[in-house]
Amino acid sequence: MDIVFVILLCVGYFVGNYLEKKHFQNIKKRERQTIHVPVVTFGAKQELPDANEAALFLGSVVVSADYFKMFASSLRNLVGGRVVVYESVLDRGRREAILRMKEQAISWGATQVVNVRLETSTIGNRTSGKGLVAIEVTAYGTGIR
Amino acid sequence: MVYKPKEIPEDINVTSVHPLINFAYLLGTVAVVSTLIYVVLGAIATQLATRISPEMEAKIGQQLVSDLAKKDKKVDAKQQQYLDSLLADLQKSDSSSYTPLTIHIQKSPVSNAAILPGGHILITATLLAEAESENELAFVLAHELGHHVARDHLKGLGRSLVFLTVASMLGIGSGDANVVGMTGSLTNLHYSRQQESAADVYALNAIVRCYGHGNASLDFFNRIQTEQKDPRGKLSSYFSTHPLTQQRINDLHQIASQRGWKMEGDITNLPDKIFDEEPNSKSNQES
Repeated sequence: MDIVFVILLCVGYFVGNYLEKKHFQNIKKRERQTIHVPVVTFGAKQELPDANEAALFLGSVVVSADYFKMFASSLRNLVGGRVVVYESVLDRGRREAILRMKEQAISWGATQVVNVRLETSTIGNRTSGKGLVAIEVTAYGTGIR
Repeated sequence: MVYKPKEIPEDINVTSVHPLINFAYLLGTVAVVSTLIYVVLGAIATQLATRISPEMEAKIGQQLVSDLAKKDKKVDAKQQQYLDSLLADLQKSDSSSYTPLTIHIQKSPVSNAAILPGGHILITATLLAEAESENELAFVLAHELGHHVARDHLKGLGRSLVFLTVASMLGIGSGDANVVGMTGSLTNLHYSRQQESAADVYALNAIVRCYGHGNASLDFFNRIQTEQKDPRGKLSSYFSTHPLTQQRINDLHQIASQRGWKMEGDITNLPDKIFDEEPNSKSNQES
């Protein structure tokens, strides 16, 4: 029982950490590649910049925490405070979602993406506190060209 | 306005702390706090065990045996009466019991006896059926009485005593709780070696006071020594919660000789067939 728990914790920590590092490297690389196209939040009640065409772009990603993060956060639940281990999960989700939206817009030929919004929702069983702990992050905006 | 692309800064939304360090702090906090609670609860429980008022103890006992009371009705009145009078004899000329005691006969395949808070003595019908003389039955009763007088049953409850006390104070008793399951664990209370031998000495003292001698009172114990390999294996269950070694018998004999207690004398027999295996069957009721 205990040994299984320790194994799960180790797998969660090492594999989770490795995958997270790789993901962040990937995100940084793609962010540098797409940095020439501005992504802005204005456009909802302001006039849009002059453009010939506009289209909706949506990027969405589901990320999950690993066993180590889940355990650490359950400990955090006892005492309260900043859930540091989940911050990176959310950060990955947001940046990945924006990138997916942006990459689509770029391939369509957008010069900028305006009125960008971010939304999150949880996936999985929230009441029992067990099972899948995953969030979906959705980024959407208007691409113009 | 001209758009100037620039690198997205890191560490704005992610706290730059190593997850393991963060985890270690968390684990440390939780461990320290739980240890503190554990220690404090233990200290409170020890204080409670020695200072709890008889009324409060009775309340706790009531919670624990509220279900048992219903079961008692099925039990043979003769047996109950006999045990009550036996207990009364044992308590004679000894005022150290601080609450009135009640005996509950339980139908159970295991042979066991236990004392619960509030002066409730549980004794299983199997143990009664196994008894071969009044003396040895009296010793078992007196042994539990010894635990009661020394408040071992309260000490044995340990930290759960705090919760039981709080629950009974707030009136959120376990009215419908699975008392049978609970008593299962209650009868498995672990007493320390000292507590056991103190209860033994108390028991033998009470026996000697009552019968004038300690003969046959240790028969239960002696039999288990010889019958341990008995395939029935029934007797051994009482002693799984009341560990007994030859050492303990020897100690008792030694104390008896030190204090000048007689270990020889007439054995008092049990009333005829009172504790036969099927106390409710017709033939026994008639006899």
